[in-house]
Amino acid sequence: MEHSLVLFQNEKQIFFSDEHWLYPLFEVEQFLGERSISPNELFLRDKIAGKAAAALIVKLGIRNCFIELLSERAIPVFKKYGVNYSYQKLVDHIQCRTEDLITDKMTLEETYLFLRKRAGKVQGVSLKINSLSVDIAGKQILDNLELDLGRGEQLVVQGENGSGKTTLIRSILGLIPSINGSITIGEEVVGSSGWQKNRVQTGYLNQETIKNNFPITAAEVVAIGLSSQKLPETERAYRVELAMRKTGSFHLMSKLFHQLSGGEKQRVSLARCLCQNARLLLLDEPTSYLDEKGREELCELLVDLSKNEAPTMLLVSHDSNWTDRLKWQGKILKGGKLW
Amino acid sequence: MVDLFTYPPVLKGFIVLIITGFAFPITGVYLLRMNLLPLRFMLMHGAILGGALSLAMSINPFGGTLVINLLLVLLMTWMSRSLKADPGQLSAFFMVVSISVAFIFIYRFQVPAKDTLSLMWGSLYTLNSFEFIGTLVFSLLLIIFQAQYRHQLRAVFFDSDVARTAGVNETGFYYGIILITAVTVAAAMKLIGALLLDALLLLPALIASYHAKSYKGMVLWSSFWGGLFATVGFLLSLAFDLPASSTIAVFAALVFLILILTQKK
Repeated sequence: MEHSLVLFQNEKQIFFSDEHWLYPLFEVEQFLGERSISPNELFLRDKIAGKAAAALIVKLGIRNCFIELLSERAIPVFKKYGVNYSYQKLVDHIQCRTEDLITDKMTLEETYLFLRKRAGKVQGVSLKINSLSVDIAGKQILDNLELDLGRGEQLVVQGENGSGKTTLIRSILGLIPSINGSITIGEEVVGSSGWQKNRVQTGYLNQETIKNNFPITAAEVVAIGLSSQKLPETERAYRVELAMRKTGSFHLMSKLFHQLSGGEKQRVSLARCLCQNARLLLLDEPTSYLDEKGREELCELLVDLSKNEAPTMLLVSHDSNWTDRLKWQGKILKGGKLW
Repeated sequence: MVDLFTYPPVLKGFIVLIITGFAFPITGVYLLRMNLLPLRFMLMHGAILGGALSLAMSINPFGGTLVINLLLVLLMTWMSRSLKADPGQLSAFFMVVSISVAFIFIYRFQVPAKDTLSLMWGSLYTLNSFEFIGTLVFSLLLIIFQAQYRHQLRAVFFDSDVARTAGVNETGFYYGIILITAVTVAAAMKLIGALLLDALLLLPALIASYHAKSYKGMVLWSSFWGGLFATVGFLLSLAFDLPASSTIAVFAALVFLILILTQKK
């Protein structure tokens, strides 16, 4: 076989790739996503496959495959999901770090998301904070704080009132002019000219997004995410609609923002961040003004978001009952440091 | 009444009032949303200082007023943002300073106080060519500014932090809005007077805020009400031989009152 991966439909070759690692399978995902093909008609030939590739093949819905070099670790995955496989050579494992990182406890969905993150196929961008110290009015709020968040990862930061949670968020947003240390979002250092140009990649959901009853519709609020982009009005309207549909707020489009409930406001604000195409989402006490129903809805929305677009998300809150439901990794902000 | 339009000062006054009637309420929306109402009072007092200085130096009071107001707003904005001082307190401070210095000039240079205070009630029919063209050009620039930067302005009005994270130069727009306010107040003072300029600036925006269903609607309705007040008020003033500025203000106030009472019902 010349190519690293070939895909057949009823014995006719319809796709091939010469890429390495898991990228050919992600290319197949994109290829199939653009076409209407029944997975039952497909046959896949791959040069090498381990547990990770097996999980992706299952996720793609492919039922029949031939693997030149197959890892024994892939076989339980194929068997569990009823994939018919054959191989040229079977080995007990392949030299692949990714295969080692997938544990038996991970569900297929979790494995798929993990692989997307490793392949950089998520919307998220990395966030790295080195020795961040912030003084406000002579009081040290953050003290040599360190944080390393990978692409598409989520983190909940908890802390008591006044512990510096909002200061941390505002520092990352570049809204606090004098900080010591460095904050890097993707490749850009906060405050640099490159960061300034890419500032839209950071979305911000604050506690209360409007202070009075100024007339502005929910759709206009979502469109704020596109404020700095020059787009035709039709494209602008399309993106607003898409973002509102994703967050289930499309029906609120023409309603006045200040008349919405707390939960509806947060849906609309989240749509604003999606419309902005934010790759890092910073959420500052997003449940502050929400009732139980609103909190539940926001929880579902954030969990969905973390599985689909998967932006990197940092959420600060003192509401541990609610944040526990998200099942994200957590840290405590105390004494100006994260623990 | 139609014959009156054959007089150049009346025609000029009518043209400039209609155009500014549609344009200046846009600034009213800015004033309301950015909570810049104290700034307006400071600018009124700044205008008296500008007028006194101009008369003492025998230069055009309109230009002098404009320069003083621009200096005052820049100074106040810089102080409030850099020194974290309260804009309301700063406005009060500059109000006192302006009026004090103005009266020192009036006394020291024996400027007729009546001429300076004429700024308070405007002089629509005494526009010279510079003032006429300048006001029209500024009005058109204001409309273009609003149309061109409507998306960014909407973001700034919604929430300054959100605007910044959406990539909008919030500081630049804030200063831009402040400067536009200073020029609008100076121009409106010449047309309708310091005491009545709110009829052209604030009342249309206030009325629009009661019934507009969107930000876009707020701007368009403000403009509509401003244009209506200016046109009807001016024609009524000609028909009943009343001062234009007062007639416009009374008409605007009446409409405001009717709408408020109707809404309460």
